[in-house]
Parts: sequence; structure tokens; C-alpha cells
Amino acid sequence: MMKRREFLQKLGVGALAAVGMPYVATAQARPVKLATLLPLTGPFAFAGNAGREGFVDGVDYVNEVLGGVGGRKLELIVEDTGYDVAKGTAAFNRVVSRERAEELLFVYGDSTGLSKALAPEIARMGLPYSATSFANELADPKTYPTIFVFGPTYNDMMEALLRQIRLQKGRAKIALVYSNTEFGRDPIPYAKERAKALGMEVVHEEVTPPAFTDATPIVLNLRRANPDFVILQGYALSVEPLILRTAREQGLRAQFMGTYYSAELALIQRAGPAAEGFTVTYHNAYWYDTLVPAVDEMRKFRQKKGRDLSYRPTYYMGSLAVALAIAEAMRRAAGAGKLTRAGVVEYLEKLGDYNGLGLLLNFQFVNHRLPYTKLYRASVKDGRFNAITDWIKLA
Amino acid sequence: MSDLLPYLIGGLANGALYGLLALGFVLVYRATSVVNFAIGEFLLVGAYLTYTFALFLPLPLAMLAALPMAFLFGLLVERGFVRPLLGRNVVAVIMATIGLAAALDGGVQLLWGPDLKYLQGELPQLGFQLGDTFVPSRAVWNLLLALPLGLGLLWLLRKSRYGVLVRAISEREVAALALGIPTARILAGVWGISALLATLAGALLAVASGVGHNLVFFGLKVFPVAILGGLDSVGGALLAGFLLGVLEALSGRYLEPILPGFTEALPFVVVLLVLMVRPYGLLGERQIERV
Repeated sequence: MMKRREFLQKLGVGALAAVGMPYVATAQARPVKLATLLPLTGPFAFAGNAGREGFVDGVDYVNEVLGGVGGRKLELIVEDTGYDVAKGTAAFNRVVSRERAEELLFVYGDSTGLSKALAPEIARMGLPYSATSFANELADPKTYPTIFVFGPTYNDMMEALLRQIRLQKGRAKIALVYSNTEFGRDPIPYAKERAKALGMEVVHEEVTPPAFTDATPIVLNLRRANPDFVILQGYALSVEPLILRTAREQGLRAQFMGTYYSAELALIQRAGPAAEGFTVTYHNAYWYDTLVPAVDEMRKFRQKKGRDLSYRPTYYMGSLAVALAIAEAMRRAAGAGKLTRAGVVEYLEKLGDYNGLGLLLNFQFVNHRLPYTKLYRASVKDGRFNAITDWIKLA
Repeated sequence: MSDLLPYLIGGLANGALYGLLALGFVLVYRATSVVNFAIGEFLLVGAYLTYTFALFLPLPLAMLAALPMAFLFGLLVERGFVRPLLGRNVVAVIMATIGLAAALDGGVQLLWGPDLKYLQGELPQLGFQLGDTFVPSRAVWNLLLALPLGLGLLWLLRKSRYGVLVRAISEREVAALALGIPTARILAGVWGISALLATLAGALLAVASGVGHNLVFFGLKVFPVAILGGLDSVGGALLAGFLLGVLEALSGRYLEPILPGFTEALPFVVVLLVLMVRPYGLLGERQIERV
């Protein structure tokens, strides 16, 4: 016969189980969360809002078409940073303190400055992280084992441009024009070193504020240095048109080039005929690349949802690629029973056979970045950037 | 000299924009003692107004059509934000302009959306060859619009009845009220003109670099220009605009190679140096306060 104490103990365990069971059951159905800290206001609001839309579409697509992540719903959290490191840090702290560690499995941040500021804390938390930044320093799995760059770093982009220059003209004279920001300075030492190694000469360097109103001194200095190619870095589509227009006015013959953040159609619209031939690196698909499955799928998906089908910017495509790839890594981690932060890192590192419906060559990370890009050239007549190369492998 | 000339032309053309914006800023300060921290947003609103009209009008007409709207906007700001605080400590109005700046930033994004925009169409080409130097069309337009407008305003303030009334109010508001001067109406007009000047500067800027939030940063330039010219000197603002424009261009030519990035700090260094010698700015009024 059961003793009274034994009976009470068993009753207690039973009661606890009865109370706890539904809790466990709901915990299994609880969503997996992806937080984004985006510049929804401020000078980069254009990129932040387009990026948000890419995440919304990506997450909706994962939930509604792909059936979520291992039976759980993928939930998107969006916070505004205003492109301000202090505000972004506050948003990050708010999110990580509010959300449970077993649910918040990925954070997507904003800017080189914010990402560098958060990096040590992210490493300490073991939190999978990526950002709008392609800074070289972030692609360092030894120091930051959970940070990934979803594209080539700015150094890689410079490498792609320099290889193209070498193809076009062997011993070319190059000028570097960049903003006095982390974004602008990031790839400059590498570009100088590589240009020299490839037998080119850096004949001029211009360090400028990130925004200004007159490009005459810059263009006149360039004209005196007489480069064959000018690479612009660290601007957000207001400075490039100004430089291109001034260069055209002043009869500068050099060919202008830029990296990912200059690869948006607004550059062509703003610079007008001066944009002709402007060459950029870009590693996703454009909204008009309808042969890419992701574009075709998203057009159909947006139509079904009653969403606007007009041109979606490059920042939309970038966010969409991240959302799809993260969901894929999470799904694989869930399949292996490892849907944790460490599991997501592990499966991101094993995502080499996935290409995000053609949004990228593949997600084979090399030192936690994706060293693949294409080169595009601006056509004023078409009002768009046209690919001039296939995928270039940079590592 | 032929090497220097294009730099000077570029500097003068850019300085014309500085002068235009500073003129509106100083006008408000002189008439009301209010430092308008929302001047960059005035420029932003002006550029977006021009953008809206340029959707269905040729660009020169769109710029023209935006001006009365901008004037109206200035009147509304005065009526909504400034007049309710009339008679209060001037710091209250200054704080209100900081709030206004934030509200306008958000309002512009709500109304026009966050995506990148550009002005459709171009201004007629007025560029020409001057010896070996090409004078770009944008430089001609900047100078052509800013110089007559600036000098005309100066003349208006000195000689016209309206100008005398503005000066009377700025000297002593209470006395002006006692004499039956319609102070509120005239001050509203000053805010309107300030918004109109900012709109013109915004439109000229947006022609080359597009319409977007980045334009508000240009508003920051107004502070060194206005302080350099003398916060209460309308003529000083125009002069200081040209001066800083040219100094920046020359710094770009001669100092940048040895001190990369220095031009960004140049306006503030110049202001510091000038204020050490003339604390009231180049043409500002020397004020003696007896304690």
C-alpha cells in the first residue's frame, strides 16, 4: 500500500505534469524569431524600408508557401535604428532582453558602425547575426564566430572591380574617391595594395564627407591626376550622381565604378546621361531579372497578396535573400533536432548547396562571407544596370 | 590662374547656395531672434514640393510653382509653431524649431514615402566656355538665381517700407507693436521668405543629387555661414556664403592633398578664427550689453 507521503509526492508530480504539459505543448508550437534592426527613418530610410519589405515578403513566403520552420512559424521583429549607432544599440538591447534565447535565433543589424559596436556582445551571446554592412572586419569567424556577411565584403567588391580593370586595360591608372566613414574607408588599404600587386598605379585619392553639395574640386583634382578608372566607395546615391554629372561637365574621360550600394537604379535616374557606363558590383538579382526563380516567385506571391508589383530596389532583394537563406538553415537545423542558436550557425556554415531561388550563386560561406558577385554596367537608354559578367568567384 | 579659375567658379556657385540658405536663416534671426534649427527641413520640404510639381510641369516652371507653396508653408510654420509662443522666452521658440525639425522629417517621409526620388527634367543648359575654362550650367543657374535675389532682398530691407518695418520690429518689437505696426503679419512674411529661399536652394541642389533625406545635412552648413557673416547681418550671410564656398574649393585644391578630409572641418575652423578677432562676425552688429 502506498504511504501517505509517497502518495502526496506522486500527486504533486502528476499535478505539475498536468499544469506543465500544455505549456510544453505550446512551447513546441512557439514561433522562431528573426529580428531586424533597420534604418526606417533618417538618411538611409530608403534602404531600410525596402529592406523591411524584403524581410516581410521573405518571412511570409517561408510561412505560407514553405510551411514555416520545422512546423513552427517564423516571426519577424522589426526595430528602427534611424541609422544611429546609439539608437541601434538600444534597439538591439531591447530585443535581446525581451525575447527568449531559444526563440530569437537570428538578428539582422544595420551599418558597419553599429555592427562593429555590437560584435563583441553578439559573440559573447553566441547569437547568429548579419547586417546591411559588408565590412571586411565582420567576416572573421575566429573573432566573431556567429557573424555572417551575406555577400562579398567591400574588399571582395574592390577585387572584382580591379580584375575587370585589368581585363580592360593592363597597366591602368586608378583614382579612389571615398567618404570619410567606416563604410568609405573599409576597403581602401586592400584596394591600394591589390592595385599595386596587379601592376596598376593609384594616381589619386580623395577623402570626402559622406554628403556634400559641390563636386567641382574633386573632379578638377581628378582631371589633373588623369586616371583611367575612378572607384567610388562609401556613398548612398546622392554623391555619385553629383560626381558623375560634374565629371561629364568638366570633360573627364575616366570610367567610373562603384560597389553594392551604388548599384541602384536611382543612380541612373539622378545622374541622367552622365551615368552611362558606370560599372558596379552587385550580387543578387534585379527585380527585372525575371528569369531568376526568386524574382518570378516573388512577383507571383506579391500578386497573390495584393502587393505592389512595381520595381523593388536592390535592398529588397538583399533582405529577401537573407530571409530565405536563414529560414533554410533553420529548417535544416530543425530537421537535425538542433534548432538553437548554435544549430543555426552550424547549418549556415553548411548551406553551400542552396542558392536562395537563384538570388546568389550559392551560400557557400568562405570565412563567413559569400565571395561571389557579378559586374553590371549602367545603360541610360534602358534605364537599368545590365550584367557584363557571369558570377565572379573572389576566394 | 587658368588652373585656379574653375575651382573659383565652382566655389562661387556652391557659395551662392550657402548664401541663399543663410539669408533666409539670418532674416528670421534678425527679425525674431529665433535660431531656426529646422532650416535643413525647410530645404527638404522645398525640394519635395519642387519634385511634386516637376511630375507634371517642366522643371523651371515646377521650381517657380513651388515658391508660393513654400511661402505658404513658411506662413503656416509661423502660425502653428512660432506665434503661439510669441512673448515667451526665445529659447522656447528655439526648442520648438528643434521639435519642428523632427516633425517635418517624419512628415516628409509619411507624405512622400522613403524611396529615392529625382527631379524629372533639366534646367535649360546655360554652360559656356570662358577661355580654357568651362563654366557649367549649374554654376550659372546658382549664381543667376542667388545673386539678384540676395541683392534684391538686401535692397528691399534697406529701402522699402516693408524692410523698414522688419527692421523696426527687430530693433524693438514692443515699441513696434505700440506704434501700430502689424508685427504678427510682417513676421509671418519673414518666415515665408525664409522658406522660399530654402526651397530655391533645395531645388537647385536636388537637380544634381536627387531628392532625399540627405538634403537636410546641407542645413548644417548654414550655421558656420551665418555665424561667420554675423548672425544679424543679411548682407554678411550672402558674403560669408560666397567666402566659405570659395575657401572650401581652394582647400579642396591645395589642402586636401596634404590634409585629407580637412575641407569638411574648414568652415568651423574659419568661423573659430574669425570669431577670435570679430566675435560678432564679419558684418554683424557690435552689441554692448550693460550689466
